[in-house]
Amino acid sequence: MQKILKNCMVTTGLLLCSVSSIWAADGPKPPSSLSNPFVELLAIIIIGLAIVIGILAKLVIEAAFVKVDKEKKEKSGSAITTFFTILFVLFSVNVFSQDNAVSDTTASAVKVTLASQLGSISETAYYLLSSVVLLEVLIIASLLYMLKAFIAAEKKALVVEASSAPSVPKIHWWDKINNFKPIQQEANLDLGHDYDGIRELDNRLPPWWLYGFYCCVIFAVVYMWEYHVSKSAPLSKEEYEISVAKADAEKAAYLEKSASNVDESTVKQLTDPESLAAGKKNFETICAACHMPTGGGSVGPNLTDDYWLHGGSIKDVFKTIKYGWQEKGMKSWKDDFSPVQIAQLASYVKSLHGSNPPGGKAAQGTLYVEEGSAAGKPATDSTKKN
Amino acid sequence: MQVEKFYYDNKTVKWFAYAVLVWGLVGMLAGLWIAVEMYYPPLSMGFAPTTFGRMRPVHTNAVIFAFVGNGIFMGVYYSLQRLCKARMFSDTLSKIHFWGWQLIIVAAALTLWGGCTSGKEYAELEWPIDIAITLIWVVFGINLFGTIIKRREAHIYVAIWFYIATWVTVAMLHIVNSMELPISFLKSYSMYAGVQDALVQWWYGHNAVAFFLTTPYLGLMYYFLPKAANRPVYSYRLSIIHFWALIFIYIWAGPHHLLYTALPDWAQSLGTVFSIMLIAPSWGGMLNGLFTLRGAWDKVREEPVLKFLVVAVTCYGMATFEGPLLSLKNVNAISHFTDWTIAHVHIGALGWNGFMTFGVLYYLIPKMWNTPLYSKKLAGTHFWLGTIGIVLYAIPLYWAGFTQAMMWKTFTPEGQLKFQFLETVTHILPMYVARSVGGAVYIVGVVIMTYNLIKTIRQGSFVPDEAAEAAPLPKVITPHSNEHWHRWIERRPLQMLVLSLVAVAIGGLIELMPTFLVKENIPTISSVKPYTPLELHGRDIYIREGCYLCHSQMIRPFRDEVARYGEYSKAGEFVYDHPFQWGSKRTGPDLARVGGKYPDSWHYNHMMDPQSMSPGSIMPSYGWLYEDEINAFQTPKMIWAMRKLGVPYPEGYEDQCNKDMQKQATEIANRLKADKLVVKPEKEIVALIAYLQRLGKDIKAAPKQETTGEAAIPGN
Repeated sequence: MQKILKNCMVTTGLLLCSVSSIWAADGPKPPSSLSNPFVELLAIIIIGLAIVIGILAKLVIEAAFVKVDKEKKEKSGSAITTFFTILFVLFSVNVFSQDNAVSDTTASAVKVTLASQLGSISETAYYLLSSVVLLEVLIIASLLYMLKAFIAAEKKALVVEASSAPSVPKIHWWDKINNFKPIQQEANLDLGHDYDGIRELDNRLPPWWLYGFYCCVIFAVVYMWEYHVSKSAPLSKEEYEISVAKADAEKAAYLEKSASNVDESTVKQLTDPESLAAGKKNFETICAACHMPTGGGSVGPNLTDDYWLHGGSIKDVFKTIKYGWQEKGMKSWKDDFSPVQIAQLASYVKSLHGSNPPGGKAAQGTLYVEEGSAAGKPATDSTKKN
Repeated sequence: MQVEKFYYDNKTVKWFAYAVLVWGLVGMLAGLWIAVEMYYPPLSMGFAPTTFGRMRPVHTNAVIFAFVGNGIFMGVYYSLQRLCKARMFSDTLSKIHFWGWQLIIVAAALTLWGGCTSGKEYAELEWPIDIAITLIWVVFGINLFGTIIKRREAHIYVAIWFYIATWVTVAMLHIVNSMELPISFLKSYSMYAGVQDALVQWWYGHNAVAFFLTTPYLGLMYYFLPKAANRPVYSYRLSIIHFWALIFIYIWAGPHHLLYTALPDWAQSLGTVFSIMLIAPSWGGMLNGLFTLRGAWDKVREEPVLKFLVVAVTCYGMATFEGPLLSLKNVNAISHFTDWTIAHVHIGALGWNGFMTFGVLYYLIPKMWNTPLYSKKLAGTHFWLGTIGIVLYAIPLYWAGFTQAMMWKTFTPEGQLKFQFLETVTHILPMYVARSVGGAVYIVGVVIMTYNLIKTIRQGSFVPDEAAEAAPLPKVITPHSNEHWHRWIERRPLQMLVLSLVAVAIGGLIELMPTFLVKENIPTISSVKPYTPLELHGRDIYIREGCYLCHSQMIRPFRDEVARYGEYSKAGEFVYDHPFQWGSKRTGPDLARVGGKYPDSWHYNHMMDPQSMSPGSIMPSYGWLYEDEINAFQTPKMIWAMRKLGVPYPEGYEDQCNKDMQKQATEIANRLKADKLVVKPEKEIVALIAYLQRLGKDIKAAPKQETTGEAAIPGN
């Protein structure tokens, strides 16, 4: 219990520190080797293994106490020796872990200065960190071996007892992971509390729940560290810039390869029925809101007459759709339509010329005469326009 | 020791139970109504109170504060008396509490339908109702603590710890978030602006979920689940650890509602990591509930109460696991602003709160009427209809949310957005239909329950005062020699109250204070100017009609959002926004930079008949804006209030504001006239157009960011 409280306090403290350093921090920090993702990964592995060692050590100690208790009953001499042997083994483990701490600090100290790089971290740092991992694995192996030895001894004792005692029921994995006590032993766990008939049991915390909680706390510390102390993970705005740069590169690569790279200087009026049909479809769903499905205009100007506010050539119309005339209410459509789609739209608009739909809006802008057509011969009745 | 005889008050519990049944149906039907409006907009009938923007707050407030609120009081008044072995402190206070709360609910519904709203989600109620809530909450507090203090039980049980934490935290949240400056009887402005307002609001909003929908219901679970199963609580230690961890960690998680917004990054990260750390404490409650049923699972098959409680606790576990996942930035980037969030909260609302309430009702009513339940079979039918309803409700919405988010983010290889916003809406309409069917099935279940309970009440005879006896509390309680250290505080309810307050205050202070005090957190932009008087009126109309419930004003720094809506939103753009209007759901497109995107005439036609400008749109029409006139009488007061709150209008601008307003309105009316649309400049639609045309424009004037302290002249 106290251990948990202590842990909580330590992690909260860590979090608070990181937070306060965030408020204080402004401007870029010198890059630290701790910000290297590979180093971080190794560090996380090291912490994870250390936790495993802690759990195993605890189990071994408990098993040892059981054995010591038992042997005490038999003869006191050997009990003491066993106890000391175990203590010695655990002490050596402790020395190992102090080793870890030392090698950890040397690692981080050395790796900044060393020029020889492995991946993107220094060779020494790499070897030091991986030797720590290796050491930890060795410790885990030895602890497991010890635990196995204890369990084997227990089993032997159980077999001896079994001849006199009834057989022990098999424990289900579900009961095991939750650390359930058999329901028959419930009376031993009763705390004696009684609230309107509600009793309370003194069951232990489910182990997976408790270690899950620890893992979440470690995640939180690592997360804050990554984003706000080592700054190795991109914050929202950096993430945005990265994604846009990537998308721009992809787009440029695609456009270079494809024939769809049209702009206002290269666009030609399209007359094939497929293009006009595609243009018509987009016109009637999007543009019709302001220009009416016929192109006769309502909020926006009439697109079928000879008068244009921003030029009537295919290039001008393309440009108007692409960039818009913000102050007149025509938005830019370049983020909604591809260059080809804009060319189709512009061509469709041009194809409406002279259709003279009923209820069309009065002419606005200046007279535009198609290049190459006979001058002064508008396509529709000029008297109506003037 | 002499045993004392006393009586439990069942009458108040009965009244709260009736209120639960009535308001539950009202709230759920309002929900069904707006669910149908999502695919059948004519249901709004061109009548302001029945449009989505006004019905939605009615639905959320009715379900949270009326249905669940009365559910809390019902369960607390029943369990507290029995856990304390004492009658409620004062019958008069119980009566004031009950009737006061019902009056608040009625006032809330009427004002929300009338368009009186503070524009902050789940805290929409205007200032007089906020004050009434505070007073009634104090009445509840006195009654709660009075009962605890005169208890006949030495220690307070875990359910009561949760009640105490609920009471103190809700008081803190409500008071801090409701700070507003009134300008008339039913209109006020939030004290905070922009980023600060957003942070306070979601600190409140998230913890309203935590301390109104979760902790009191955990308390109910700790009483009703062991009682119904007749099993001891699985682990006392787990109760202790998950209680303290839950209340301490929960309060920090609010900023996960604001990921990728203009909120400072450090606050966003705190929201994420505390949400992740919240998984275990939340699950502690679920485990303690489910493990309590060890050895009683055979009863779950038989007993309707337990069936409902088990599904409730399971839904709680699912929702509290999904919540932290939604707080991860990469998941949030997809889920936020979509129906995914709606599905998530309804797992909590329909599953956890709904089923828990039903379980408690099925337990209480036969007990208080001293009769068995009228029909176990009907209760079983209700159980299955409810469960199927939840599944039918949630799955289509998860699907809809994910699909829409993916469509929003899809680009063509040429680098264009592949889908127009409207296409992404019409694409998911079938899911909306399926969702409303799920909701309707759930409601049918509730109707069956109501019938079953009425029949039970008819066949039983009500016991208004239930006799009980217990020895009084000794003057000095001698502690056990080897008792758990936590027993100490279980004998001291006031220390418990103080410690709970400390636990919840820490997170709030650490997140809120720097955002208010450290200037670098909100870099100001000199080209951002206060709204003109006409735009202020337009903004009030925008808030009144609940536009923020479907339209966000927050462009996140994503490639697709910048392509679709324009430059991503900056913290400095919102410094004059009392209240902020970032929104939390995009049923319609973002409006942060809608200013200048369309001509005035487009907005005019669109508000009159949205389908004429956007064929297939599901937005309702707002015909009354063309008839109602701007309340020019209020303009000087609005300017005064805004200046009080720190908006730099020059001194004495109150005398000039209406002239300025008329000038701007006439300009807009003239522009509309040029497009053959004749409207008087005094009409509300003109103000709304002015506001919409202003949105997001300031930053375009001068994109350079700098800190400025000068007073600025309104308008641009």
